[in-house]
Amino acid sequence: MSTIKKTRIIRFSPLQRLFHVLLMLSFLTQGATGLSRMYVETPWGRALGSVFGGYESALAVHKRVGIFMICGFMVHILYLLSKVNWRKFPRSLFEPDSLVPQPRDVKDFFRHVGWFVGLNKAPEFDRWGYWEKFDYWGVGWGIIILGGTGLMLSYPLIASRILPGWFLNIAFWIHRIEALLAMAHVFVIHFFIAHLRRHSFPMDRAMFEGSVDIEAARHEKPAWVARLEQTGKLEGVLVAETTSGLRALFYIFGLGAVATGVFLLIGGLLNSMSITW
Amino acid sequence: MDATQGINVVAKSQSSPSRKRKKHDIAFMCWIPGLVLLGLMCLPEVVPAQEEMASSIRRYKAYEASTGYYEEYEVLPRRQRAILEVPGVTRGLFRYSPASAEIRIRSRLADSHRAIKFYKRRPCEDCHVEQTRDIHTVRANLTCRQCHGKEPIASIYHYYSPMNPIRKHAYVCSKCHEGASISYSSYLVHMPNPVTRSAKEGFPLLFYAVWIMIGIAVSPLAVFIPHSVMWGVREFFVKKDKDKVEHNKKD
Repeated sequence: MSTIKKTRIIRFSPLQRLFHVLLMLSFLTQGATGLSRMYVETPWGRALGSVFGGYESALAVHKRVGIFMICGFMVHILYLLSKVNWRKFPRSLFEPDSLVPQPRDVKDFFRHVGWFVGLNKAPEFDRWGYWEKFDYWGVGWGIIILGGTGLMLSYPLIASRILPGWFLNIAFWIHRIEALLAMAHVFVIHFFIAHLRRHSFPMDRAMFEGSVDIEAARHEKPAWVARLEQTGKLEGVLVAETTSGLRALFYIFGLGAVATGVFLLIGGLLNSMSITW
Repeated sequence: MDATQGINVVAKSQSSPSRKRKKHDIAFMCWIPGLVLLGLMCLPEVVPAQEEMASSIRRYKAYEASTGYYEEYEVLPRRQRAILEVPGVTRGLFRYSPASAEIRIRSRLADSHRAIKFYKRRPCEDCHVEQTRDIHTVRANLTCRQCHGKEPIASIYHYYSPMNPIRKHAYVCSKCHEGASISYSSYLVHMPNPVTRSAKEGFPLLFYAVWIMIGIAVSPLAVFIPHSVMWGVREFFVKKDKDKVEHNKKD
Protein backbone atom coordinates (compact mmCIF):
# COMPACT_ATOMS: atom_id res chain seq x y z
CA MET A 1 0.00 0.00 0.00
CA SER A 2 2.83 2.33 0.71
CA THR A 3 4.45 1.63 -2.66
CA ILE A 4 2.05 3.99 -4.42
CA LYS A 5 2.17 7.64 -3.61
CA LYS A 6 -1.31 8.80 -2.74
CA THR A 7 -1.42 12.44 -3.63
CA ARG A 8 -5.02 12.99 -4.65
CA ILE A 9 -8.29 13.50 -2.75
CA ILE A 10 -11.46 11.79 -3.95
CA ARG A 11 -13.92 14.39 -5.16
CA PHE A 12 -16.46 12.59 -7.37
CA SER A 13 -17.79 9.03 -7.24
CA PRO A 14 -17.73 6.88 -10.40
CA LEU A 15 -21.49 7.30 -10.71
CA GLN A 16 -21.24 11.09 -10.53
CA ARG A 17 -18.57 11.00 -13.22
CA LEU A 18 -20.80 8.81 -15.38
CA PHE A 19 -23.62 11.35 -14.99
CA HIS A 20 -21.26 14.09 -16.10
CA VAL A 21 -20.02 12.18 -19.16
CA LEU A 22 -23.58 11.38 -20.24
CA LEU A 23 -24.57 14.99 -19.69
CA MET A 24 -21.60 16.22 -21.75
CA LEU A 25 -22.39 13.95 -24.67
CA SER A 26 -26.11 14.65 -24.68
CA PHE A 27 -25.66 18.40 -24.16
CA LEU A 28 -23.24 18.69 -27.08
CA THR A 29 -25.56 16.60 -29.28
CA GLN A 30 -28.51 18.81 -28.37
CA GLY A 31 -26.47 21.92 -29.00
CA ALA A 32 -25.27 20.71 -32.40
CA THR A 33 -28.64 19.41 -33.61
CA GLY A 34 -30.50 22.43 -32.28
CA LEU A 35 -28.09 24.92 -33.85
CA SER A 36 -28.08 22.98 -37.12
CA ARG A 37 -31.83 23.60 -37.35
CA MET A 38 -31.67 27.19 -36.15
CA TYR A 39 -28.92 27.96 -38.71
CA VAL A 40 -30.32 25.93 -41.61
CA GLU A 41 -30.38 29.07 -43.75
CA THR A 42 -26.57 29.25 -43.62
CA PRO A 43 -24.01 26.84 -45.15
CA TRP A 44 -22.55 26.38 -41.65
CA GLY A 45 -25.88 25.19 -40.28
CA ARG A 46 -26.47 22.85 -43.21
CA ALA A 47 -22.99 21.35 -42.82
CA LEU A 48 -23.66 20.85 -39.13
CA GLY A 49 -27.01 19.23 -39.90
CA SER A 50 -25.47 16.87 -42.46
CA VAL A 51 -23.51 15.26 -39.61
CA PHE A 52 -26.85 14.05 -38.25
CA GLY A 53 -28.30 13.19 -41.66
CA GLY A 54 -29.92 16.50 -42.53
CA TYR A 55 -32.59 18.85 -41.29
CA GLU A 56 -35.23 16.21 -40.62
CA SER A 57 -33.17 13.59 -38.88
CA ALA A 58 -31.40 16.23 -36.80
CA LEU A 59 -34.81 16.85 -35.24
CA ALA A 60 -35.34 13.12 -34.70
CA VAL A 61 -31.98 12.93 -32.92
CA HIS A 62 -32.75 16.11 -30.96
CA LYS A 63 -36.06 14.71 -29.68
CA ARG A 64 -34.64 11.34 -28.69
CA VAL A 65 -31.63 12.78 -26.92
CA GLY A 66 -33.92 15.29 -25.22
CA ILE A 67 -36.08 12.49 -23.85
CA PHE A 68 -32.92 10.67 -22.80
CA MET A 69 -31.87 13.79 -20.87
CA ILE A 70 -35.25 13.99 -19.15
CA CYS A 71 -34.89 10.31 -18.17
CA GLY A 72 -31.38 11.03 -16.90
CA PHE A 73 -32.70 13.97 -14.91
CA MET A 74 -35.31 11.75 -13.25
CA VAL A 75 -32.71 9.08 -12.49
CA HIS A 76 -30.56 11.81 -10.98
CA ILE A 77 -33.43 12.91 -8.72
CA LEU A 78 -33.77 9.30 -7.51
CA TYR A 79 -30.03 9.27 -6.92
CA LEU A 80 -30.27 12.49 -4.91
CA LEU A 81 -33.08 11.08 -2.79
CA SER A 82 -30.94 8.04 -2.05
CA LYS A 83 -27.98 10.27 -1.11
CA VAL A 84 -29.73 12.64 1.29
CA ASN A 85 -28.99 11.93 4.92
CA TRP A 86 -32.62 11.49 6.01
CA ARG A 87 -31.78 10.88 9.66
CA LYS A 88 -30.54 14.43 10.14
CA PHE A 89 -32.77 15.64 7.32
CA PRO A 90 -33.24 19.35 7.36
CA ARG A 91 -29.82 20.07 8.81
CA SER A 92 -27.96 17.59 6.62
CA LEU A 93 -28.78 19.70 3.56
CA PHE A 94 -26.66 22.53 4.91
CA GLU A 95 -23.53 20.57 5.69
CA PRO A 96 -20.36 21.69 3.89
CA ASP A 97 -20.41 18.60 1.64
CA SER A 98 -23.86 19.54 0.37
CA LEU A 99 -24.44 21.39 -2.88
CA VAL A 100 -27.36 23.36 -1.44
CA PRO A 101 -26.64 27.10 -1.69
CA GLN A 102 -26.06 28.75 1.67
CA PRO A 103 -25.65 32.34 2.88
CA ARG A 104 -21.95 31.60 3.07
CA ASP A 105 -21.84 31.29 -0.74
CA VAL A 106 -23.06 34.84 -1.23
CA LYS A 107 -20.43 36.07 1.19
CA ASP A 108 -17.78 33.97 -0.56
CA PHE A 109 -18.80 35.43 -3.91
CA PHE A 110 -18.31 39.01 -2.76
CA ARG A 111 -15.08 38.22 -0.95
CA HIS A 112 -13.83 36.39 -4.06
CA VAL A 113 -14.59 39.44 -6.21
CA GLY A 114 -12.90 41.55 -3.56
CA TRP A 115 -9.84 39.37 -3.92
CA PHE A 116 -9.86 39.86 -7.73
CA VAL A 117 -9.57 43.60 -7.27
CA GLY A 118 -7.18 43.38 -4.34
CA LEU A 119 -9.48 44.49 -1.52
CA ASN A 120 -9.06 41.48 0.75
CA LYS A 121 -7.54 37.99 1.02
CA ALA A 122 -9.06 35.14 -0.95
CA PRO A 123 -11.96 33.41 0.81
CA GLU A 124 -11.29 29.89 2.09
CA PHE A 125 -13.61 27.71 0.04
CA ASP A 126 -14.95 24.44 1.35
CA ARG A 127 -15.68 21.48 -0.90
CA TRP A 128 -17.94 23.31 -3.37
CA GLY A 129 -17.31 26.85 -4.57
CA TYR A 130 -20.31 29.03 -5.34
CA TRP A 131 -19.54 28.80 -9.08
CA GLU A 132 -19.69 25.00 -8.89
CA LYS A 133 -23.03 25.13 -7.08
CA PHE A 134 -24.32 27.54 -9.72
CA ASP A 135 -23.25 25.18 -12.52
CA TYR A 136 -24.91 22.24 -10.77
CA TRP A 137 -28.29 23.89 -10.17
CA GLY A 138 -28.18 25.60 -13.56
CA VAL A 139 -28.38 22.19 -15.24
CA GLY A 140 -31.52 21.30 -13.29
CA TRP A 141 -33.14 24.63 -14.12
CA GLY A 142 -32.17 24.24 -17.79
CA ILE A 143 -33.57 20.73 -18.08
CA ILE A 144 -36.86 21.75 -16.49
CA ILE A 145 -37.31 24.75 -18.82
CA LEU A 146 -35.91 23.16 -21.98
CA GLY A 147 -37.47 19.77 -21.30
CA GLY A 148 -40.88 21.29 -20.57
CA THR A 149 -40.99 23.50 -23.64
CA GLY A 150 -39.31 20.81 -25.72
CA LEU A 151 -42.01 18.29 -24.84
CA MET A 152 -44.69 20.85 -25.74
CA LEU A 153 -43.06 21.43 -29.13
CA SER A 154 -42.50 17.71 -29.79
CA TYR A 155 -46.11 16.83 -29.06
CA PRO A 156 -47.95 19.96 -30.21
CA LEU A 157 -51.31 18.26 -30.70
CA ILE A 158 -51.39 17.05 -27.11
CA ALA A 159 -49.96 20.33 -25.80
CA SER A 160 -52.66 22.34 -27.58
CA ARG A 161 -55.34 20.22 -25.96
CA ILE A 162 -54.17 21.49 -22.58
CA LEU A 163 -53.04 25.00 -23.45
CA PRO A 164 -54.10 27.29 -26.30
CA GLY A 165 -52.08 26.70 -29.47
CA TRP A 166 -50.50 30.15 -29.35
CA PHE A 167 -48.60 29.01 -26.25
CA LEU A 168 -46.42 27.10 -28.72
CA ASN A 169 -45.22 30.43 -30.10
CA ILE A 170 -44.09 31.34 -26.58
CA ALA A 171 -42.68 27.87 -25.86
CA PHE A 172 -40.59 28.06 -29.03
CA TRP A 173 -38.96 31.32 -27.98
CA ILE A 174 -38.43 30.26 -24.37
CA HIS A 175 -36.77 27.08 -25.64
CA ARG A 176 -34.53 29.07 -27.96
CA ILE A 177 -33.42 31.71 -25.44
CA GLU A 178 -32.85 29.19 -22.65
CA ALA A 179 -30.81 26.99 -24.99
CA LEU A 180 -28.66 29.92 -26.07
CA LEU A 181 -28.12 30.86 -22.42
CA ALA A 182 -27.15 27.30 -21.53
CA MET A 183 -24.67 27.07 -24.39
CA ALA A 184 -23.20 30.49 -23.68
CA HIS A 185 -22.77 29.57 -20.03
CA VAL A 186 -21.13 26.21 -20.69
CA PHE A 187 -19.01 27.19 -23.69
CA VAL A 188 -17.78 30.44 -22.17
CA ILE A 189 -17.90 30.40 -18.38
CA HIS A 190 -17.74 26.71 -17.51
CA PHE A 191 -14.98 26.08 -20.04
CA PHE A 192 -13.07 29.12 -18.84
CA ILE A 193 -13.18 28.09 -15.19
CA ALA A 194 -12.43 24.41 -15.77
CA HIS A 195 -9.87 24.78 -18.56
CA LEU A 196 -8.47 28.19 -19.30
CA ARG A 197 -7.63 29.84 -16.00
CA ARG A 198 -4.17 29.24 -14.69
CA HIS A 199 -5.19 26.99 -11.80
CA SER A 200 -6.75 24.37 -14.07
CA PHE A 201 -5.03 24.92 -17.43
CA PRO A 202 -5.28 22.98 -19.76
CA MET A 203 -7.92 20.90 -18.04
CA ASP A 204 -9.24 20.17 -14.57
CA ARG A 205 -9.24 16.36 -14.54
CA ALA A 206 -11.32 16.11 -11.35
CA MET A 207 -14.57 15.26 -13.13
CA PHE A 208 -12.98 12.44 -15.15
CA GLU A 209 -10.41 11.05 -12.75
CA GLY A 210 -12.62 11.60 -9.72
CA SER A 211 -9.87 13.13 -7.63
CA VAL A 212 -7.89 16.34 -7.26
CA ASP A 213 -4.27 16.90 -6.39
CA ILE A 214 -3.98 17.57 -2.67
CA GLU A 215 -1.66 20.54 -3.08
CA ALA A 216 -3.96 22.12 -5.66
CA ALA A 217 -6.93 21.51 -3.35
CA ARG A 218 -5.07 22.99 -0.40
CA HIS A 219 -4.58 26.03 -2.55
CA GLU A 220 -8.10 26.44 -3.92
CA LYS A 221 -10.31 24.73 -1.31
CA PRO A 222 -8.31 25.21 1.93
CA ALA A 223 -11.33 24.87 4.24
CA TRP A 224 -12.19 21.50 2.70
CA VAL A 225 -8.72 20.02 3.20
CA ALA A 226 -8.48 21.52 6.68
CA ARG A 227 -11.86 19.99 7.59
CA LEU A 228 -10.73 16.58 6.32
CA GLU A 229 -7.52 16.87 8.31
CA GLN A 230 -9.27 17.96 11.49
CA THR A 231 -11.83 15.16 11.40
CA GLY A 232 -9.11 12.64 10.51
CA LYS A 233 -10.84 11.62 7.31
CA LEU A 234 -8.05 12.73 4.98
CA GLU A 235 -6.23 9.36 4.95
CA GLY A 236 -9.46 7.62 3.96
CA VAL A 237 -10.07 9.74 0.87
CA LEU A 238 -6.54 9.78 -0.54
CA VAL A 239 -5.87 7.94 -3.79
CA ALA A 240 -3.00 7.65 -6.22
CA GLU A 241 -2.91 9.20 -9.67
CA THR A 242 -4.24 7.07 -12.54
CA THR A 243 -2.13 5.62 -15.30
CA SER A 244 -0.77 7.94 -17.93
CA GLY A 245 -2.85 6.15 -20.58
CA LEU A 246 -6.10 6.97 -18.81
CA ARG A 247 -4.93 10.50 -18.21
CA ALA A 248 -4.28 10.90 -21.93
CA LEU A 249 -7.78 9.59 -22.61
CA PHE A 250 -9.26 12.12 -20.21
CA TYR A 251 -7.42 14.94 -21.92
CA ILE A 252 -8.47 13.82 -25.40
CA PHE A 253 -12.10 13.44 -24.37
CA GLY A 254 -12.32 16.65 -22.37
CA LEU A 255 -10.47 18.82 -24.84
CA GLY A 256 -12.48 17.25 -27.68
CA ALA A 257 -15.64 18.42 -25.92
CA VAL A 258 -14.12 21.89 -25.52
CA ALA A 259 -13.24 21.99 -29.21
CA THR A 260 -16.78 20.99 -30.16
CA GLY A 261 -18.27 23.61 -27.87
CA VAL A 262 -15.99 26.37 -29.10
CA PHE A 263 -16.75 25.38 -32.70
CA LEU A 264 -20.48 25.73 -32.01
CA LEU A 265 -19.96 29.01 -30.16
CA ILE A 266 -17.83 30.66 -32.85
CA GLY A 267 -19.91 29.33 -35.73
CA GLY A 268 -23.08 30.47 -34.02
CA LEU A 269 -21.74 33.95 -33.35
CA LEU A 270 -20.28 34.42 -36.84
CA ASN A 271 -23.48 33.34 -38.55
CA SER A 272 -25.91 34.98 -36.16
CA MET A 273 -26.46 37.90 -38.51
CA SER A 274 -27.44 35.79 -41.50
CA ILE A 275 -30.42 33.95 -40.06
CA THR A 276 -34.04 34.98 -39.66
CA TRP A 277 -34.60 35.55 -35.97
CA MET B 1 -2.78 1.34 -11.24
CA ASP B 2 -6.07 2.76 -12.35
CA ALA B 3 -8.79 4.68 -10.57
CA THR B 4 -10.91 1.73 -9.43
CA GLN B 5 -7.95 -0.04 -7.88
CA GLY B 6 -7.09 3.12 -6.03
CA ILE B 7 -10.58 3.31 -4.61
CA ASN B 8 -10.47 -0.37 -3.58
CA VAL B 9 -7.36 0.35 -1.59
CA VAL B 10 -9.20 3.14 0.15
CA ALA B 11 -12.20 0.93 0.82
CA LYS B 12 -10.00 -1.66 2.50
CA SER B 13 -8.43 0.92 4.75
CA GLN B 14 -11.83 2.08 6.02
CA SER B 15 -13.80 0.60 8.87
CA SER B 16 -16.50 -2.04 8.39
CA PRO B 17 -19.71 0.03 8.46
CA SER B 18 -18.47 2.20 5.64
CA ARG B 19 -17.55 -0.93 3.71
CA LYS B 20 -21.13 -2.06 4.10
CA ARG B 21 -22.30 1.24 2.72
CA LYS B 22 -19.90 0.84 -0.21
CA LYS B 23 -21.48 -2.52 -1.02
CA HIS B 24 -24.86 -0.86 -0.89
CA ASP B 25 -23.61 1.78 -3.32
CA ILE B 26 -22.50 -0.85 -5.81
CA ALA B 27 -25.90 -2.53 -5.68
CA PHE B 28 -27.48 0.86 -6.30
CA MET B 29 -25.14 1.51 -9.19
CA CYS B 30 -26.38 -1.63 -10.91
CA TRP B 31 -29.86 -0.18 -10.79
CA ILE B 32 -28.88 3.02 -12.58
CA PRO B 33 -28.00 1.52 -15.98
CA GLY B 34 -31.15 -0.59 -15.68
CA LEU B 35 -33.29 2.48 -15.16
CA VAL B 36 -31.53 4.28 -18.00
CA LEU B 37 -32.20 1.33 -20.33
CA LEU B 38 -35.83 1.31 -19.23
CA GLY B 39 -36.01 5.01 -20.07
CA LEU B 40 -34.46 4.33 -23.49
CA MET B 41 -37.15 1.77 -24.21
CA CYS B 42 -39.76 4.46 -23.63
CA LEU B 43 -38.31 6.61 -26.44
CA PRO B 44 -40.79 7.41 -29.21
CA GLU B 45 -40.74 5.53 -32.49
CA VAL B 46 -38.57 7.03 -35.22
CA VAL B 47 -40.84 8.89 -37.62
CA PRO B 48 -40.19 11.73 -40.03
CA ALA B 49 -40.89 15.10 -38.44
CA GLN B 50 -44.62 15.52 -38.40
CA GLU B 51 -44.83 18.99 -39.84
CA GLU B 52 -43.49 17.94 -43.21
CA MET B 53 -45.88 15.02 -43.73
CA ALA B 54 -47.94 16.42 -46.58
CA SER B 55 -49.17 13.44 -48.55
CA SER B 56 -51.09 13.10 -51.75
CA ILE B 57 -51.73 9.41 -51.16
CA ARG B 58 -53.66 9.68 -47.93
CA ARG B 59 -55.88 12.41 -49.34
CA TYR B 60 -58.61 13.42 -46.89
CA LYS B 61 -57.48 11.47 -43.86
CA ALA B 62 -55.96 14.52 -42.20
CA TYR B 63 -59.07 16.61 -42.85
CA GLU B 64 -61.24 13.84 -41.43
CA ALA B 65 -59.15 13.48 -38.33
CA SER B 66 -59.41 17.22 -37.67
CA THR B 67 -63.15 17.57 -38.20
CA GLY B 68 -64.59 14.33 -36.92
CA TYR B 69 -66.44 13.72 -40.22
CA TYR B 70 -65.38 10.49 -41.87
CA GLU B 71 -66.80 10.55 -45.40
CA GLU B 72 -70.40 11.45 -44.63
CA TYR B 73 -70.48 9.99 -41.13
CA GLU B 74 -70.03 12.20 -38.15
CA VAL B 75 -68.17 10.59 -35.28
CA LEU B 76 -67.84 11.85 -31.75
CA PRO B 77 -65.79 15.02 -32.21
CA ARG B 78 -62.59 15.29 -30.31
CA ARG B 79 -62.16 18.15 -27.93
CA GLN B 80 -61.34 21.24 -29.98
CA ARG B 81 -60.57 23.81 -27.33
CA ALA B 82 -57.74 23.86 -24.84
CA ILE B 83 -58.47 22.88 -21.24
CA LEU B 84 -56.73 25.98 -19.90
CA GLU B 85 -57.45 29.24 -21.65
CA VAL B 86 -56.88 32.87 -20.87
CA PRO B 87 -60.15 34.01 -19.32
CA GLY B 88 -62.16 36.42 -21.43
CA VAL B 89 -59.97 36.01 -24.48
CA THR B 90 -61.69 34.07 -27.23
CA ARG B 91 -60.67 35.95 -30.30
CA GLY B 92 -58.66 39.09 -30.81
CA LEU B 93 -55.73 38.20 -28.60
CA PHE B 94 -53.59 39.25 -31.53
CA ARG B 95 -55.32 42.51 -32.13
CA TYR B 96 -54.25 44.47 -35.13
CA SER B 97 -52.10 47.48 -34.62
CA PRO B 98 -53.68 50.88 -35.26
CA ALA B 99 -51.51 51.15 -38.35
CA SER B 100 -53.18 48.14 -39.89
CA ALA B 101 -56.59 49.64 -40.48
CA GLU B 102 -56.12 48.66 -44.09
CA ILE B 103 -56.07 45.00 -43.14
CA ARG B 104 -58.96 45.40 -40.73
CA ILE B 105 -61.09 46.88 -43.44
CA ARG B 106 -60.14 44.16 -45.87
CA SER B 107 -60.56 41.26 -43.46
CA ARG B 108 -64.08 40.27 -44.54
CA LEU B 109 -63.92 40.43 -48.33
CA ALA B 110 -64.40 37.59 -50.75
CA ASP B 111 -61.38 38.87 -52.66
CA SER B 112 -59.10 40.50 -50.16
CA HIS B 113 -56.95 42.11 -52.87
CA ARG B 114 -59.86 43.68 -54.71
CA ALA B 115 -58.99 46.88 -56.53
CA ILE B 116 -55.30 46.88 -55.70
CA LYS B 117 -53.42 48.42 -58.59
CA PHE B 118 -51.27 46.13 -60.73
CA TYR B 119 -52.07 43.31 -58.32
CA LYS B 120 -51.58 40.58 -60.94
CA ARG B 121 -48.01 41.60 -61.61
CA ARG B 122 -46.83 41.95 -58.08
CA PRO B 123 -45.35 39.15 -55.94
CA CYS B 124 -46.83 38.71 -52.45
CA GLU B 125 -43.66 39.83 -50.64
CA ASP B 126 -43.89 43.26 -52.28
CA CYS B 127 -46.37 44.16 -49.56
CA HIS B 128 -46.21 41.25 -47.10
CA VAL B 129 -42.52 41.43 -46.23
CA GLU B 130 -43.02 40.63 -42.54
CA GLN B 131 -45.00 37.53 -43.47
CA THR B 132 -42.00 35.98 -45.20
CA ARG B 133 -39.95 35.84 -41.99
CA ASP B 134 -41.28 32.86 -40.08
CA ILE B 135 -40.44 29.21 -39.72
CA HIS B 136 -43.13 28.00 -42.11
CA THR B 137 -41.70 30.16 -44.90
CA VAL B 138 -38.00 30.22 -44.13
CA ARG B 139 -37.43 26.66 -42.93
CA ALA B 140 -40.27 24.52 -44.27
CA ASN B 141 -40.06 26.48 -47.56
CA LEU B 142 -43.81 26.80 -47.88
CA THR B 143 -45.05 29.22 -50.50
CA CYS B 144 -47.87 31.64 -49.72
CA ARG B 145 -50.29 29.77 -51.95
CA GLN B 146 -49.79 26.44 -50.24
CA CYS B 147 -51.83 27.80 -47.33
CA HIS B 148 -53.66 30.81 -48.70
CA GLY B 149 -54.78 29.11 -51.92
CA LYS B 150 -55.26 30.38 -55.41
CA GLU B 151 -56.89 33.59 -56.63
CA PRO B 152 -59.08 35.12 -55.49
CA ILE B 153 -57.72 34.91 -51.96
CA ALA B 154 -60.56 35.45 -49.53
CA SER B 155 -60.08 37.61 -46.44
CA ILE B 156 -59.39 35.62 -43.31
CA TYR B 157 -62.74 36.49 -41.71
CA HIS B 158 -64.85 36.04 -44.81
CA TYR B 159 -67.44 33.44 -43.96
CA TYR B 160 -66.44 30.92 -46.65
CA SER B 161 -62.72 31.52 -46.38
CA PRO B 162 -60.64 28.43 -45.59
CA MET B 163 -58.63 30.74 -43.34
CA ASN B 164 -61.66 31.57 -41.20
CA PRO B 165 -60.80 30.43 -37.65
CA ILE B 166 -63.91 28.25 -37.59
CA ARG B 167 -62.42 25.93 -40.21
CA LYS B 168 -58.75 26.89 -40.54
CA HIS B 169 -57.62 23.88 -38.51
CA ALA B 170 -59.35 21.48 -40.88
CA TYR B 171 -58.81 23.21 -44.21
CA VAL B 172 -55.32 24.62 -43.78
CA CYS B 173 -53.38 23.33 -40.77
CA SER B 174 -54.37 19.71 -41.14
CA LYS B 175 -52.92 19.52 -44.64
CA CYS B 176 -49.63 18.92 -42.86
CA HIS B 177 -50.51 18.69 -39.16
CA GLU B 178 -52.90 15.78 -39.12
CA GLY B 179 -55.45 16.04 -36.32
CA ALA B 180 -55.03 19.79 -35.76
CA SER B 181 -57.72 21.24 -33.50
CA ILE B 182 -59.10 24.78 -33.21
CA SER B 183 -56.85 25.33 -30.22
CA TYR B 184 -53.87 24.07 -32.23
CA SER B 185 -54.68 26.39 -35.12
CA SER B 186 -54.45 29.43 -32.88
CA TYR B 187 -50.66 29.07 -33.22
CA LEU B 188 -49.59 32.31 -34.85
CA VAL B 189 -47.83 31.34 -38.08
CA HIS B 190 -46.71 34.85 -39.01
CA MET B 191 -45.13 35.46 -35.62
CA PRO B 192 -43.89 39.03 -35.12
CA ASN B 193 -40.31 39.50 -33.98
CA PRO B 194 -41.00 39.15 -30.25
CA VAL B 195 -38.68 41.93 -29.05
CA THR B 196 -40.27 44.65 -31.16
CA ARG B 197 -43.01 47.11 -30.36
CA SER B 198 -45.29 45.54 -32.96
CA ALA B 199 -45.13 42.34 -30.89
CA LYS B 200 -46.05 44.30 -27.78
CA GLU B 201 -49.18 45.49 -29.53
CA GLY B 202 -50.01 42.33 -31.42
CA PHE B 203 -48.94 39.53 -29.09
CA PRO B 204 -48.24 41.03 -25.65
CA LEU B 205 -47.78 37.68 -23.88
CA LEU B 206 -45.02 36.66 -26.25
CA PHE B 207 -43.38 40.07 -25.90
CA TYR B 208 -43.27 39.94 -22.10
CA ALA B 209 -42.32 36.26 -21.91
CA VAL B 210 -39.39 36.79 -24.25
CA TRP B 211 -38.13 39.89 -22.45
CA ILE B 212 -38.33 38.11 -19.09
CA MET B 213 -36.39 35.19 -20.57
CA ILE B 214 -33.78 37.56 -22.00
CA GLY B 215 -33.43 39.10 -18.54
CA ILE B 216 -33.01 35.67 -16.97
CA ALA B 217 -30.46 34.72 -19.62
CA VAL B 218 -28.40 37.89 -19.67
CA SER B 219 -28.10 38.56 -15.93
CA PRO B 220 -26.01 35.49 -15.00
CA LEU B 221 -23.82 36.05 -18.05
CA ALA B 222 -23.45 39.72 -17.15
CA VAL B 223 -22.23 38.67 -13.70
CA PHE B 224 -20.12 35.64 -14.58
CA ILE B 225 -18.33 36.83 -17.71
CA PRO B 226 -16.62 39.83 -16.03
CA HIS B 227 -16.20 37.67 -12.93
CA SER B 228 -14.37 34.96 -14.86
CA VAL B 229 -12.20 37.42 -16.75
CA MET B 230 -11.15 39.12 -13.51
CA TRP B 231 -10.50 35.74 -11.91
CA GLY B 232 -8.37 34.65 -14.85
CA VAL B 233 -6.35 37.83 -14.71
CA ARG B 234 -5.96 37.70 -10.92
CA GLU B 235 -4.60 34.16 -11.02
CA PHE B 236 -1.64 35.31 -13.04
CA PHE B 237 -0.49 37.32 -10.04
CA VAL B 238 -0.68 34.43 -7.55
CA LYS B 239 2.61 33.07 -6.32
CA LYS B 240 1.61 29.49 -5.67
CA ASP B 241 4.53 28.49 -3.49
CA LYS B 242 4.36 31.54 -1.29
CA ASP B 243 0.67 31.02 -0.64
CA LYS B 244 1.27 27.42 0.27
CA VAL B 245 3.91 28.36 2.81
CA GLU B 246 1.58 30.92 4.34
CA HIS B 247 -1.14 28.32 4.61
CA ASN B 248 1.10 25.78 6.26
CA LYS B 249 2.23 28.37 8.76
CA LYS B 250 -1.38 28.93 9.74
CA ASP B 251 -1.86 25.21 10.34
